[in-house]
Amino acid sequence: MRTAKKFGLASVALISLGVSIACCVMAVAARQGQAGLPELGCLAPLAVATLTTLLLLAFWRRLRRSVGDVSQQLDAMARQKEVGLVMVESSGELSPITRPLNQFLTGLKDTLNQLRCENRELQIQSRICEAEKKHTEAIIFSISDAVVVTNRFDELILANEPAEKLLGFRLEPSLRKNIDQIIHDGTLVRLIRSTRSGGRGYMRKVVEHTIDSRGQPRVFAVTLSCVMSDQGQEVSGVVAVLHDVTREKEIAQMKTDFVSNVSHELRTPLSSIKAYVEMLQDGEADDEKTRREFYEIIAGEADRLNRLIDNILNISRIESGVVRVMREPIVLTAVARQALDVLAPQAKAKNLRLADKLVPVYRQVEADRDMIYQAIINLVSNAIKYTPEGGTVSVATSIDEKRGVALCEVSDTGVGIEPEDLPRIFEKFYRVQSSVKMAKGTGLGLTLVKHIIETVHEGKLSVTSERGKGATFSFELPLLKEALVHA
Amino acid sequence: MPNRIVVADDESHILHVLSMKLSNAGYQVLTAMDGEEALELCRNELPDLLITDYQMPIMTGLEVCRALRQDERTRGIPVLMLTARGFDLEQAQMSQVGIREVLSKPFSPREVLVKVQEVLGASAPPAGQDGADSSQRKKPDPGRECVNRG
Repeated sequence: MRTAKKFGLASVALISLGVSIACCVMAVAARQGQAGLPELGCLAPLAVATLTTLLLLAFWRRLRRSVGDVSQQLDAMARQKEVGLVMVESSGELSPITRPLNQFLTGLKDTLNQLRCENRELQIQSRICEAEKKHTEAIIFSISDAVVVTNRFDELILANEPAEKLLGFRLEPSLRKNIDQIIHDGTLVRLIRSTRSGGRGYMRKVVEHTIDSRGQPRVFAVTLSCVMSDQGQEVSGVVAVLHDVTREKEIAQMKTDFVSNVSHELRTPLSSIKAYVEMLQDGEADDEKTRREFYEIIAGEADRLNRLIDNILNISRIESGVVRVMREPIVLTAVARQALDVLAPQAKAKNLRLADKLVPVYRQVEADRDMIYQAIINLVSNAIKYTPEGGTVSVATSIDEKRGVALCEVSDTGVGIEPEDLPRIFEKFYRVQSSVKMAKGTGLGLTLVKHIIETVHEGKLSVTSERGKGATFSFELPLLKEALVHA
Repeated sequence: MPNRIVVADDESHILHVLSMKLSNAGYQVLTAMDGEEALELCRNELPDLLITDYQMPIMTGLEVCRALRQDERTRGIPVLMLTARGFDLEQAQMSQVGIREVLSKPFSPREVLVKVQEVLGASAPPAGQDGADSSQRKKPDPGRECVNRG
């Protein structure tokens, strides 16, 4: 500006000088009447005008250079998206503009830097949030329990695959719908809503709820928790986790039934023992023969109690996997013969024919001799129990080379098993009601056989029967791939 | 005429002991080995008392009791229930089906006799303990009576 002033003053001075000179020349010329001087009077203003124009041009050029300089710097800042200071000559005519501009730009630069820092911070936070969200989703999606998450408007915002399968819907994250439009289980919807509306602070409750899953009613423990807002004042959503407890309930029921059955089975022989002892104490048996009979009954019932406890222990050891199995190469026929020899008197007492169909040449199987012996004893004594007098119990062994198995078959001509009882006879304490009167049993003998053959020896036990025409129990064990053994 | 008692249990030893104890005390005992037989026997013989096990083949003791309540003739038969399981019935429910007492197994035959005497009361005293009838019944064959009747 100072330069502009200088130029302005210089121009005014020059013009004034030119005009004065011109006026003087004109006056002198008029007084003297001289020719030639008027030309001089005309030339002087012209020279002054030219000089002024030159001066203005110089000023204009200098100004343009300064503005161009500033403009270039601003352009560079815009290009580089960087705010800096505008550099001009301190004495330049633009310095009064650039000073406040630089002050403004300095402030802008600070603000920009701060915003950039904050932006970077937010980006990091956002990335962390995104990672955490993915993490949480991965956790939710990897849970085998059904999980549904709703927001404060009861809209479904997240659900994993088990939830979609169980409740029969497909979640579209872009379409937020109210849970009652997606979940058709009214009780579950009500539970989620009441958790949201009644939620105060951190809340978690577990409700048992039955849901039909593919036509099968399944019991779920539904854990409902509130998601609280940042301030912790209001509920911003609900998480419902549906854990299938059907199997646990079944196991708990099985355990209760087992304990109840065991206590019943233990009490039965104990009742007899106690009653007969009391009869003896009270002198109700007044002759020696009756007393002897009582002693025998007591001894028999004590044996029954012992057998029952043995069976329960054996079954529970096998089921819990703590049983000691002494595997050795054994010949099925030899073990079966041993069992037949032991049971022959029992069959004879009942006037039954014990048919021995054991093959003389056989291969070995790797098994626990005592356990297989116990299994055969149980099968044959069952056959003896449920075959009326005069019947036949046959025991056969054979080898199936093709399938690589040794077979043992125990069949009888007894009462047989009803078709509806067949699938259940290996269950613990299951007794065929129609033949329960024929013989005493613990209801555990066949369960034990099943465990010995299938659980311990990876063999196979099967049964066929026709009502009134007897039953055939057979089991097979894998053959040892070794040389033939001759009995 | 001695009081007649139907004893029902699927355990032959229990039938044996109870028959003997009650016969020795002068009662006439009829035995059944399942619920259906017990019901049949009660309907045919109209005994003065039924002693029944809870868990029996075909029909449980409780089902027998309920069936007895359906029939005008058998409605009044008092019942003593034996059970080897925890038997959870309110007193009111028990009297509804005619159960006077629940005795848990293992039981004492002596105690059963006391309960029987309480239920049947002094008004119907058992026949002479030294009479021919009781001596004949000293060694009852469990189940045989019911088989003959069945």
